[in-house]
Amino acid sequence: MSKRVLLHVGTPKTGTSYLQDVLFQNRALLLKQGLSYPADRFDGHFLAALDLMRLRWGGLEREAVGAWDKLAKEVRDHDGTSIVSHEILATASRRQVERALASLGHEPDGSGTEIHLIVSVRDLVRQIPAEWQENVKHRATFRYARFLELIRDPERSHRVGSWFWGVQEIPDILARWGATLPPERIHIVTVPAPGGPRDLLWQRFSSAFGLDGLELELTTERANVSLGVPESALVRRINRAAARDLPPVHYRPLVRELLAHQTLSRRTDSPRLSLPPDQYPWVAELTESWIAELTERGYDVVGDLADLRGVAPSEDTWADPDKPSEAQVSQAALEAIRALLLESGAREAEADRLRAKLEEARRELIRARTPRLMRSMEWTVGRLENSSQGRRALGAYRRVRGRNSLSA
Amino acid sequence: MDGQRRAWGWAAALRDGATTPWMDWPADSSGEGAPLSTSLPGAQQLALLRRLNEVAQAAGRTVPLATADRVLAAGVSGRGRGELALVGAAEAGRFGAPPVDPAALSDDELLRVAAGLIADDVAAHDGDPEPDRSLLERARQLRRPWVASFLVLGVQWRAEPARAGLVAHGHRPGGRRPTAYLLADDLGTVLAHAWAARAFDQGGPTWSDFVRNSASFGHLPPRADLPRMARSAAHKYGAGRVVVVLDPSVLATLLGVRSLQGPPQLGAHAIDLVRRVGEPLGLLVDAARRPELLRSTLAARLDGHGGPLPSVPPRWQSWLSSQAERTHHELAAAGYPVLGDLDLLLAGSLPSEPVVPVDAEVLDLALGLLLDPIDPPKETTA
Repeated sequence: MSKRVLLHVGTPKTGTSYLQDVLFQNRALLLKQGLSYPADRFDGHFLAALDLMRLRWGGLEREAVGAWDKLAKEVRDHDGTSIVSHEILATASRRQVERALASLGHEPDGSGTEIHLIVSVRDLVRQIPAEWQENVKHRATFRYARFLELIRDPERSHRVGSWFWGVQEIPDILARWGATLPPERIHIVTVPAPGGPRDLLWQRFSSAFGLDGLELELTTERANVSLGVPESALVRRINRAAARDLPPVHYRPLVRELLAHQTLSRRTDSPRLSLPPDQYPWVAELTESWIAELTERGYDVVGDLADLRGVAPSEDTWADPDKPSEAQVSQAALEAIRALLLESGAREAEADRLRAKLEEARRELIRARTPRLMRSMEWTVGRLENSSQGRRALGAYRRVRGRNSLSA
Repeated sequence: MDGQRRAWGWAAALRDGATTPWMDWPADSSGEGAPLSTSLPGAQQLALLRRLNEVAQAAGRTVPLATADRVLAAGVSGRGRGELALVGAAEAGRFGAPPVDPAALSDDELLRVAAGLIADDVAAHDGDPEPDRSLLERARQLRRPWVASFLVLGVQWRAEPARAGLVAHGHRPGGRRPTAYLLADDLGTVLAHAWAARAFDQGGPTWSDFVRNSASFGHLPPRADLPRMARSAAHKYGAGRVVVVLDPSVLATLLGVRSLQGPPQLGAHAIDLVRRVGEPLGLLVDAARRPELLRSTLAARLDGHGGPLPSVPPRWQSWLSSQAERTHHELAAAGYPVLGDLDLLLAGSLPSEPVVPVDAEVLDLALGLLLDPIDPPKETTA
């Protein structure tokens, strides 16, 4: 039975993809140190989270049947420390949390497996635009202003609002996940304010997960990339025009990966997406209430809760993705078309190669199905036609056999 | 008084069959109770159990304790709010979704709990052995050598039971150079059948979204595109071997059977319930097994329920008419032989009030399935 579990349940857009990639790529090395990251594919814990919460995810849930129980069993079977990490776990309901903790060996009275809850957090000033952008990269068609309206609905009756606060409201996430855990086993890792040292966040993760001193391979990249204002506006327009025609199995590689991640995210000179300055006061007020609550609860903080305050957006640099510069959107659209043309050309070339291979295989099949006698006759004819004596003999044979068989 | 203890008192009473709304529950010590488990059920679960008690009471019955316990312990399926706190029971928390009066919850919220429970019941049948067929049934299924080669095509929801019925009578589709019979109907019905097929396969969109999406694409969804199916069959078997069927009785006579087996008679509300159950079920069983499981469990139970098939809302009727004209034109222009009257393809008179799934009706069906589950849960002691 696992002695200790480091359970990382969020939040999104806090460097979680990078962390999970490092853990996945180094899992063999970690295991030698007694640390288990049980996953046979990089998104293994994502599938487990979908299964735990019974969430549909564009068809991916089909691969998630039984994934949580499998993960939990691997954790229980490991004699040492295990790591479980996925950011969408943040939105789990109390019932799902109870099931998850019980399946990992936790007992509400504190006996059983020693669970350490880890939540990485970032300021709402950056999280709000990032969440809208994430929605846009998942086929959403609503404007930024509409998104802001939905997340400000106090009832949270719309799925966008309930999801946003489910994965972002730090005091509530910790209340749901930490109801039966002592505060010293609840660790908050704060994402440094913009402009901080590049590897500071990793140092904090490393400290929280007990990875300090391990020679891990850190060169891997699976970070979620961000889009600028015109690029976000463009993807939203593409969603409006085409997302309904594109099933998830095509949307994911073409729009999210090829266009958003591989093409548009490289345009780093365009205005960056940010919180509208007129929204800052309520965000700042809410943040102060969170900091006060989290301080009072006495959790272990890796970093500084002051990082949650973020930086007030500037009126001078604010660009509205609902009213973007059309010239910038056109420029982004041209690059998107270029990428799609290149991809289309590459696919056409690949299709030609496969067609040729298929034709070759078809010929092989015909040959394999041709009777041996016929093949030996073809071979004999081929040999005879290569010499003058053979050709004469063949001609004599054909004259004797008659006109009907000349083709033989 | 302690709001939590009052809530536990209400939960215990609901478990025993009470139907009193939360807001009418005694606020003095007579309404208090001891905790039944580690955490109070959500407002959605408690509201669903109260509704279930009302249905049982109206039928002169009581909800079995095991069922009540299942409801109280259930989760909430899909995206949306998690378990909600009861107003007046929880401390006025500054964080999380605000507490609610369970009576004010929408039917859709209660259906999120009910769908998860029904999905569990359906999933319990995964792996059931195929029922043994009698010798007579097996003999009936043997292919008659004198039956001409044929295939039955069309919307899966309609064609599949027709094929199954024919197989059961020894008319196994297939053979050399078959004639492909394309089952057609008025386009409104074809569209409703396509939505039903999708609900069983994937869950998928609501009826309104399905129609709106189809109309905004400017073409019919593939499952309802009869000319496309006919072209595909003509490509495979030859244009002269594709026959459009608008009078199934003529086809039945041609094939030598009394009638063609139709699909289960599921109305708009019943199909919508299947759609909702299909979503959590997708996380419980293999995707390939889901349609058959839903057919063998829910379709059988809901046959004849849920009102009429859904109809296209007025806003999209002109789109439907133009698609019906197009379908008629393409099939006529291709010159496929027709059994029956091709004009039946054109949308007939639509009901004065459009038939669309209504959450309250869907919830009624779900409550029926919770009261009389596919497999009754084992009784527990109080």
